[in-house]
Amino acid sequence: MSCTELERLFLTGASSEDARRHRDSCATCRSTGADVDAAEEIARTLTAPEMPASLRTALIEIPRRTVSCEGAERLLPLAVENELLPDDERRLSCHLSRCGGCSEAAATLLAARDLAEPIAPPWLAGRLAVARPAKRRRSLGWLLGPKSAIAFAYGAAVVVMLLGFNPADLARRVGAGELGQNTRAAVLVAESSVTDRLGALQEKVSRTLAVWKGRAGGYGRAVVSNAVSLIWKTSGTKQRAVERPRNRDGRGAFKERETTTTSWRA
Amino acid sequence: MSAEEKALVDRCRLGEDDAWRLLVDQFGQKVYSVAYHFTLNREDAEELSQEIFLKTFENLHRYDGSFPLVAWLLSLSRNLCIDRYRRRKRERSFRFVSDDAVAPLLKSDDDPAAEALKKERSKILFSVLAEIPEDLAEILVLRDLDGLAYDEIGKALDLPDGTVKSRLFRARAEVARRIRERHERRGTAGAFQTLAVAAGGVL
Repeated sequence: MSCTELERLFLTGASSEDARRHRDSCATCRSTGADVDAAEEIARTLTAPEMPASLRTALIEIPRRTVSCEGAERLLPLAVENELLPDDERRLSCHLSRCGGCSEAAATLLAARDLAEPIAPPWLAGRLAVARPAKRRRSLGWLLGPKSAIAFAYGAAVVVMLLGFNPADLARRVGAGELGQNTRAAVLVAESSVTDRLGALQEKVSRTLAVWKGRAGGYGRAVVSNAVSLIWKTSGTKQRAVERPRNRDGRGAFKERETTTTSWRA
Repeated sequence: MSAEEKALVDRCRLGEDDAWRLLVDQFGQKVYSVAYHFTLNREDAEELSQEIFLKTFENLHRYDGSFPLVAWLLSLSRNLCIDRYRRRKRERSFRFVSDDAVAPLLKSDDDPAAEALKKERSKILFSVLAEIPEDLAEILVLRDLDGLAYDEIGKALDLPDGTVKSRLFRARAEVARRIRERHERRGTAGAFQTLAVAAGGVL
């Protein structure tokens, strides 16, 4: 009952003639071989069941029912944007209900869109308020600025010109133009006269004297002041020296807050 | 052959309806046959076939053409078939195979007696298949009922050819032994078996 020769012959691909010779010589394998022959005979009588026509139609329609994983990759971005056509949405839904990987990917993408906003820390609002530049108020103060003044001036000039008003006409009418010309001529004549030149020289001399007089007065006061202080020092009145506390090693110690220097003038 | 099948799959990936129809026509019958042998029920076989092709369509990008397409189809659907097979085994009525279940598998015969004998033998075969271990039964179904080559079975089940052959031999021997034992029991207790079958019970 333990003969494995028939199995060895089968596994090594021996011919059916070799297997038959062994079966004829071995009682165990003869029985086993007969049983196998009977089973194979049963299997040979069976035929393949015919595929129903309705099944063929259903199989051909599969691409219209679902999408592949590759197709899902193309449709998922559109699904996130809610831009899927109804047919594609149905096919993608069918695929996601069957494919764990694509379903997880879709859930992750959609969840990212719906994530809650992070809660701002309490100090953030104050910091932002400080950092934000002051809002410019809309007021009429800008009307008083220099740019506005220039703009108004140009605007007024344009308006006046458009109205046909010429300032030169007004000056000519009151004689201002002639007056200005006469004045300029008088000045030119006066500058060239000898009297005016002498007056100018006198004025220059008087100004120079005044300058030297001021300088002499200043130096004189300084000399007098120095002399008084010198006399005061040599009169025997000694200024008392500032006493400072001493440490154990005899060195001076500054008082608390005595770090600022003071200016001393004699 | 695999290069042609790879080209066909690539066309399917591009969305060509003609290519997908060709794929269904080439492999639909084979897939339905395997599904029927695992389920022995028309509705279940149709449902399983659709599930297999759905899975195929959704995973077309994974086929690299390194082995036959039918083997790849079956490797994708192996878990589905095994799940159905286990579900059937859990059902108490599974071992009692009905006439309707084997009817689509038999050629019509002019001789009613011969046809009845073939039907009875087929019922016994599927009943015994439900009794042996799954790894043996699936190989025998794929080889002897669906006619797949050894390398196709090996690719589908991710097994070396030697293991496929070894399991196939053991499956055949186990099925044959059980059929013989049944035959012997029926000879000694034929009346009891007839009553049990008539009552719809389990052998």
